Amino acid sequence: MLPLSLLRAAQYMPMLVELKNGETYNGHLQACDGWMNICLRDVICTSRDGDKFWRMPECYIRGTNIKYLRIPDEVIELVKEEQTSNSSGGGRGRGGGFRGGRGGTRGRGGRGGLTGRPGLGSSGGGGDRGGGRGGRGGGGRGGKFPRAN
Amino acid sequence: MLFYSFFKSLIGKEVVVELKNDLAICGTLHSVDQYLNVKLTDINVTDPDKYPHMLSVKNCFIRGSVIRYVQLPADEVDTQLLQDAARKESVHSRQ
Amino acid sequence: MDNQRNNQNQQRALDHTIAKGCANLLDEIDKRLLVVLRDGRTLIGILRSVDQFANLVLQQSVERIHVGDKYGDIPRGIFLVRGDSVVLIGEIDQQKERYAPLKRVEMEVILEAQRIEQEIKAERDARRAQAFKERGLLYQTEAGITEDN
Repeated sequence: MLPLSLLRAAQYMPMLVELKNGETYNGHLQACDGWMNICLRDVICTSRDGDKFWRMPECYIRGTNIKYLRIPDEVIELVKEEQTSNSSGGGRGRGGGFRGGRGGTRGRGGRGGLTGRPGLGSSGGGGDRGGGRGGRGGGGRGGKFPRAN
Repeated sequence: MLFYSFFKSLIGKEVVVELKNDLAICGTLHSVDQYLNVKLTDINVTDPDKYPHMLSVKNCFIRGSVIRYVQLPADEVDTQLLQDAARKESVHSRQ
Repeated sequence: MDNQRNNQNQQRALDHTIAKGCANLLDEIDKRLLVVLRDGRTLIGILRSVDQFANLVLQQSVERIHVGDKYGDIPRGIFLVRGDSVVLIGEIDQQKERYAPLKRVEMEVILEAQRIEQEIKAERDARRAQAFKERGLLYQTEAGITEDN
């Protein structure tokens, strides 16, 4: 399982992204691509020194700016399950589990560009920009990885 | 590719790799790849007080892009051969 | 079944490109490794995955903080480290670790020690920056490896 495949498997999960400049972004992974470019939803941005915070409904991060991502422990378990169900499905010929699993991946890949919700492309256009979503994902949501340091 | 081949010829020799964060690591060159990433075995850090985390490390992989210098054993380097190879390569690339 | 064979072939091709790219980090998979980042931080975790860019997945990782002759570990879960922020990946030698002249302390102790160390450093840096400024110079702190060197 390559690192970027694991990242893709962590779609919709909460994570912490630290940039090379030391800023951290807590949010739910909405989409990612082969260059590690990512989209997050319900984001809390923390300044380098951890003293300033900004909340934003979503953000796009170019992969080259990323230092590291911290992802939930469950992701690896999830991937293991998917892999075992894939291989056991393969052994039996065309088991239901096998086909089910594949269908999911293919569906995601098929959308092209950034994998994820098709709606994301329009987000820059202003449709759901603004404060509308600001209230969601408060302290509890970002609380899984509260601080970088 | 010249320096890749050159470093490959030094495998098994003792080298000192100085990194861009001023950490200097002495060790036996175990392997090298096309990016000049290197693997050293049986390492020693020249300034362990400043880099205590390296005290528990014996073998390591170093990313080529963070290397500033590599100090080589003088008697293992054939500079004449290197010069010739460099000339040959520049002729090749001009063609 | 064809799918499976295809997958296997792809995996083999991938293994090959990785092996060519990275002085063989594949040998280190499933070992507990120490990773030094460009910002100077040290992570220790079990290497679960690598790719040709030396992007890493570390499981059960800790951030190890050294202050003087003390060190402490802070649990951090799963890391996906981007290859270009990696300086060095070290294999931990149990024997060398045992004989190292260092004392292991609790997380709270090391965090407090680090806080004090950072305060002292910040004070010193501020003094130096001031002295440099008075002489018409720009003071740069020595912290890890920056983008432009």
